[in-house]
Amino acid sequence: MRASLALMGGAAVLALAAAPAAAGEYVTWHDDGTVDLVMEDGTTLKTSRDELGGLFGPDQKPFEGTEISITVNSGGPKGGISGPMHSFRPIWEELSGGKLNIVELPFAEHYTKMMLDLRNGTGQYDAFMVGAFWYGDIVPAGYAYAIDELMDSGDFPSWTYDDMPPSLKALYTWKGEGFGTLNDADGQVLYYRKSVLENPEHQAAFKQEYGYDLPSPPKTWQQLLDISRHFNGKNWDANDSEADSGTVLHLKVGEQGHYHFQSLSASFAVTPGEKVDRTHNVYWFDPIDMKPLINSPGHLRALEFLQELHGTGPSAQVGWSLGEAWDYFLRGKAVFVFSWGDVGALCQDTTRSNIQGDCAAAVLPMSDEYYDMEKKSFVKAEDRPQVGNTTGGSWHGVISNFSANPEATYSFLSLMAIRPASMWNAQHGWTGVDPGYSYQFLEEQGGTAKIEDYVDAGWSAEDASSYLQAYRDNFYAPTMLTYLRIPGTFEYWDILDKNLSAAMSGAKTAKEALDDTATSWEQVTERIGREKQIEDYQAAIGFEG
Amino acid sequence: MAEAALPGTASAAPPAPRRLPSLAEALLSVLAVIATMIFLFPIYWALSQSLRDPIETFTVAGFGIPWIDFEPTLDNWRDQLAIPETRRALANSTVIATGASLLALLLGTPAAYALARFRFRLIPNRDLTVWFLSQRVLPPVATVVPFYLVMRTLGLLDTQLALVLLNATFILPFVVVIVRQTFLDLPRELEEAALVDGASFWGAFWRVALPLAMPSVAASGLIVFSFAWNDFILAITIASREAITVPMHMAGAVDTRGVQFWFMSVRAMIAMIPPVIVALLAQRYIVRGLTLGAVKG
Amino acid sequence: MWTSRARFFFLLPAVVWIFAFTLFPLGYSLYLAFYKVETRTEVTRIQEPLLDAAGEPVLRPDGTPRTRSVVSKEQRSIAEFVGLANFRRLWVDPQVHEAVRVTLLFVLMAVPTQLALGFLLALLFNQRIVARPVLRTAMLLPIFATPIAVAYLFFTIFYEAGGPLGWTGIPFLSDPFWALVSVAIVDVWQWTPFCFLVFLAALQGVPDELVEAARIDGASGLDILLRVLLPLLQPVVLIILLLRLAEALKLFDIPFALTGGGPGIATQSYSFLAFRTGLRFFDLGYASAMAYGLLIIVMLIVTFFFRRLRQSYG
Repeated sequence: MRASLALMGGAAVLALAAAPAAAGEYVTWHDDGTVDLVMEDGTTLKTSRDELGGLFGPDQKPFEGTEISITVNSGGPKGGISGPMHSFRPIWEELSGGKLNIVELPFAEHYTKMMLDLRNGTGQYDAFMVGAFWYGDIVPAGYAYAIDELMDSGDFPSWTYDDMPPSLKALYTWKGEGFGTLNDADGQVLYYRKSVLENPEHQAAFKQEYGYDLPSPPKTWQQLLDISRHFNGKNWDANDSEADSGTVLHLKVGEQGHYHFQSLSASFAVTPGEKVDRTHNVYWFDPIDMKPLINSPGHLRALEFLQELHGTGPSAQVGWSLGEAWDYFLRGKAVFVFSWGDVGALCQDTTRSNIQGDCAAAVLPMSDEYYDMEKKSFVKAEDRPQVGNTTGGSWHGVISNFSANPEATYSFLSLMAIRPASMWNAQHGWTGVDPGYSYQFLEEQGGTAKIEDYVDAGWSAEDASSYLQAYRDNFYAPTMLTYLRIPGTFEYWDILDKNLSAAMSGAKTAKEALDDTATSWEQVTERIGREKQIEDYQAAIGFEG
Repeated sequence: MAEAALPGTASAAPPAPRRLPSLAEALLSVLAVIATMIFLFPIYWALSQSLRDPIETFTVAGFGIPWIDFEPTLDNWRDQLAIPETRRALANSTVIATGASLLALLLGTPAAYALARFRFRLIPNRDLTVWFLSQRVLPPVATVVPFYLVMRTLGLLDTQLALVLLNATFILPFVVVIVRQTFLDLPRELEEAALVDGASFWGAFWRVALPLAMPSVAASGLIVFSFAWNDFILAITIASREAITVPMHMAGAVDTRGVQFWFMSVRAMIAMIPPVIVALLAQRYIVRGLTLGAVKG
Repeated sequence: MWTSRARFFFLLPAVVWIFAFTLFPLGYSLYLAFYKVETRTEVTRIQEPLLDAAGEPVLRPDGTPRTRSVVSKEQRSIAEFVGLANFRRLWVDPQVHEAVRVTLLFVLMAVPTQLALGFLLALLFNQRIVARPVLRTAMLLPIFATPIAVAYLFFTIFYEAGGPLGWTGIPFLSDPFWALVSVAIVDVWQWTPFCFLVFLAALQGVPDELVEAARIDGASGLDILLRVLLPLLQPVVLIILLLRLAEALKLFDIPFALTGGGPGIATQSYSFLAFRTGLRFFDLGYASAMAYGLLIIVMLIVTFFFRRLRQSYG
C-alpha cells in the first residue's frame, strides 16, 4: 500500500515536471500592464509590457521554432556571466517560444572559437558574450551586427546607452554605432578591511613603524604598500591561528592576471593632459608610429612596484585565478584586494564570505609620482585628478553578423539588459555582472537606486554605499586608462600577460619582461600592418594630434 | 632481508602451503599497499572534493574523509548532471568513442590478419608493421591544423562524424599491431585446413580465425575505446557546440572567476569513470596492448 | 598459399585510410608552411518584411511592417608563397627555444623517473606479497584516467593555500621551476603504473632456473639484478623508452589544464605552443612549420629505435 502511494506520488511529480511551460511558469502578465518574471531561484522581477517591447505578449510566441546559440566563458549555471544566462533562459524561452543553446567555453578557448566561426563565416553562433577588448578583432572586420535599428524599433525589451557612464558606453560602441547589449561593467577598485585599518592598536603600531598616520583607505599606492607590509605576516585576523597577508593578487597566466598591472600602472605611466596627443593620456603605443610605450620608465616602475606588492601576499598567488584570490580575501586572510565588482557582491554571500559588513571599497589609489613622457622624467604629483579604469572585459553580448536570427538573439540579450534584470544581476555576486549604470548608483551619488534596494537583496548597508561610491568615482573619473581595442589586442595582451607572469614569478626581471613585451609587440604590429594599426589605434583612443 | 629482496624468484614458485607470512614479506606487503595508496590518492581526493559543500573545499581538515571530516552532499553531482550540456557531452563521448573503436576494428582487424598470415614481398611484413606502429607516435598537433581545414571544407566541423573519423585514425595503428600479435599466436593449420576444404580467404578469416581471436580483439576494442574517450586535442580542434565531448566539457569547469573545484571534481570523476572501467574489463590484455604487442603480459 | 592476391584486400583498406588521414594532412600542412593563406568572408544583409504563418506581412502597432534581416555570405582565400620564412622564424623565435627547452627538460625529468619507479615497484610486487592481484588492478587506474581530468585534479592537489600538499610549503605552481616539476609529477603519476605493469609482466616471464643458477654460483641480489635480469629485460626497457619518449614529446593536456603554460612560459610545451600559434592566433603557416619541427624529432627517435623494433616484430 505504502509502495503504491509512493508510486502515485512519483507519478504526480513527473506529471508536474512535464507540464507545458506555456502555462505561465516563468512569466505572468497582469492586467495593469505589469509583468512578473520568475527567476529560477524563486525571486520575482517586476517589469512592464512597455519595457518588454512590442514583440512579446501574453499570446505571442514571436520566435516559435527558432533556435539560437550564444557563447560565453564557461562557469556553469552558477558561474560568472554564464550564470545569468542560465537564469534568464527559461523566461526567454517562454516569452519567445524559441530555444537557447548556451555554449560554454573555457576562457582560453572562447576567443579562438569565436574567431574561427567568424573568419570562416560559419554562423554557428548567433552571439558571443565578448570581452570589450575583442572589439578590435571583430567590429572593423565587419563581423559584428549593429543593433541601433533593433533598439529603436520598439519591438524589443528596452534599455539605453544613456544609463552608462561615457567610459563604459565607449566599450559597448564603435565609432558611434551600437554593437554591445548592456550587461557587465568592469573596472577595478580597492577593497579593504575597514575594521583592521581603523583599529587604534594597529594605527599606533603603524605610526610608530612608518612615522605617519595610517590612512584609511590609502590615497597613494606607496601608502598602500607600507600598510600592506605592516600587516603582512601578522595574525591580525582572529578567524584562524595562521599569519595573514597584506594584499592578495590574482596572477595566473593565461587568464586575467595582467589586469592588475594595467590598473596599477595607469597612475605611474599616463601623463595627464588636456587632450590625447603624442605624450599625453596615452598608455599602450606611441600614436604616431605605434612604437610600444609598455617599457617606458613609468611602466617599469609600476611593475617593480607590483613585484614589491606581491611580496606582501601569499606566494602561491602567482598561480591563482580570480576565484582563489577572492576566496582568500573573503575568508579574511588579506587586508587589501584590488579587483572587480564581484568582490563587493561576493562579500555579501555568507556561504563564501566571513567579512560581510567589513568589506569597504574605495577608488584605486594613485601613485605619488608619474613618468612625464613629454619631460622624460618622473614628476612628483599630489592631489591630481583620479585616473579611473575600465579594466576587464565588461562582458556582454555582441551579435554575429553571420547570425541567421539576429532579431531573436537580440530579444534575449535585451531581456537581460532591462533595468530590473540588470539590477538583479548586479546585486548578486555569483552572477559576475558588476554595477556601473546610473540606476544602480544611489540617489545621493547621482543615481536612482535606494540603499534599501541593496539591503533587501541581502547587502550590508555600509558595504553597499562605499562599494557604489567607489564605482561611481571610478567610472566617472576625469582621466581614464585608455582601453585597448585594436586588431590583435588579445595577442598583444597575451604577450604582456606571459611576460608579466614571468616577472612576477621571478623568471625575468621587470625590465627584461617589459623589453621583451615591446619586442614581441613590434612583431605583431609588423605582421598585422603598421599603417593600419596606427589608424585604428588613433581612432580607438580618440587621438587629437 | 637481503635474501627476501632477491628479485624474480617468488612469483613462479609452486603455490606454497598456507603459512604465516614472514616479517620481511609483511613489510614488503605494507610497502606495496602504501605505494598503491599513493597512486590512488588523487582519485580518492576528487571523490572527496566532489562530495563537499563549496565553502568546505579548503577548510576540511586532514584527508577529507566523508562522514568523519565533513558531512557529504550529492548537490554538486546533482547540479552537474542536471544541466543538458553535461548529458550531451556524455552522449557525444559515448557515440564518438564507440564509433571510432568499431571503425578502427573494422579496418584494423583484416589488416592485422594480413600481416600475421600472408607474406608481402615488396615491403616485408615486419616493415609494414613498424610503419603502422610509427603512425602511432605521430604527434596529433602536427595534424590538427590540416584536419581542421579539411573538416571545414567537408562541412564536418563540430560533428560527431568528424571526431569518429579522426579518432579512428589515431587508434587504427594500435589495433593493427596488437591484433596482429593475437593472430600470430593462433595456429595457422586450422585456417589452412579450411582453405584446403575450399573456403575463401575471407571465410577462413571470418569463420575460423576471428572467432578464436575474439577475446583479444574485443579487449583491444575496449582499450582503444578508452584512448578515444580520453582524447582532448582533436575534440577541442573540431568541436564547438554540438560535438563537445566529456574532456572538453571538463575543461569548461574553469571559469573566468577561477577554478570551481567542486564542479571540477565532479566532472573529472564523470570523465574518468568510463575509460577506467572499460579498461579494467580488458585487464588481461593491457600489458600486451600498451606495449603494442612487444611484451606479452 | 599465403601469397594470394587476396592479401591486398585485407591490408589495403587500413593502409589507404592512414594515407588519407595522416599523409594527406601532413602534405597539406607542408603547403601551409610555405604559403600564407588568408581566408575572408564577405557578408551582405538585406531587410525583408516579416511574414506570419499565413504569408501576410506582420505590422507594428503604428502600421509599419516588421522586418527581418537575411544574411548571405561569400568566402575567398588568397595564398601567397613565403618560402622558408616560417622555418627561419622557427630558428630564431625565443618562444620556440624556450618551448624546446621546457619539453626536453620535462622528458628528462619524467621518463627516467617513470622507468626507475616502475621497475622498483615491479621488483616489489614480484615478491611474495598479500593481495597482489587486487593491488595490481588498483595500479591500473591512473593509466586510463582522462589526462585532462587528471591535470585539473592535480590542480586541486597542488593548491598551495589549503590543498592536501599545502603543508609542504612547496610552490608547486607559482614557481617557474617547480611548475615544470609539477607537470612532470602528474605525468609520472599517470605513466609509472604502465612501466610497472610491463616490467612486472617481463619479470614474471624470467625463467626461475636462471636466477636459481646464479644464486647457486654465489651471486648477490644486486649481481642478479645487474647481470641476469637487466640484460634479459633490455628489449622491454627499449620499447617502453620508445613509447614513453614519443608520448612525452607530445605533452599537451597537462600544461593546458594545470598551468596554462605558466608561470610566464615556464611550462609551455612545444605542442602547446604550436597549438596556440595555429588555433588561437591563426598563424597557420608558422604553426605548420612548428609541427614539422616536432615531427622530424619524433621520426628521428623512431628511426633510432627502428632496427630494434624490426626485431621485435620479426
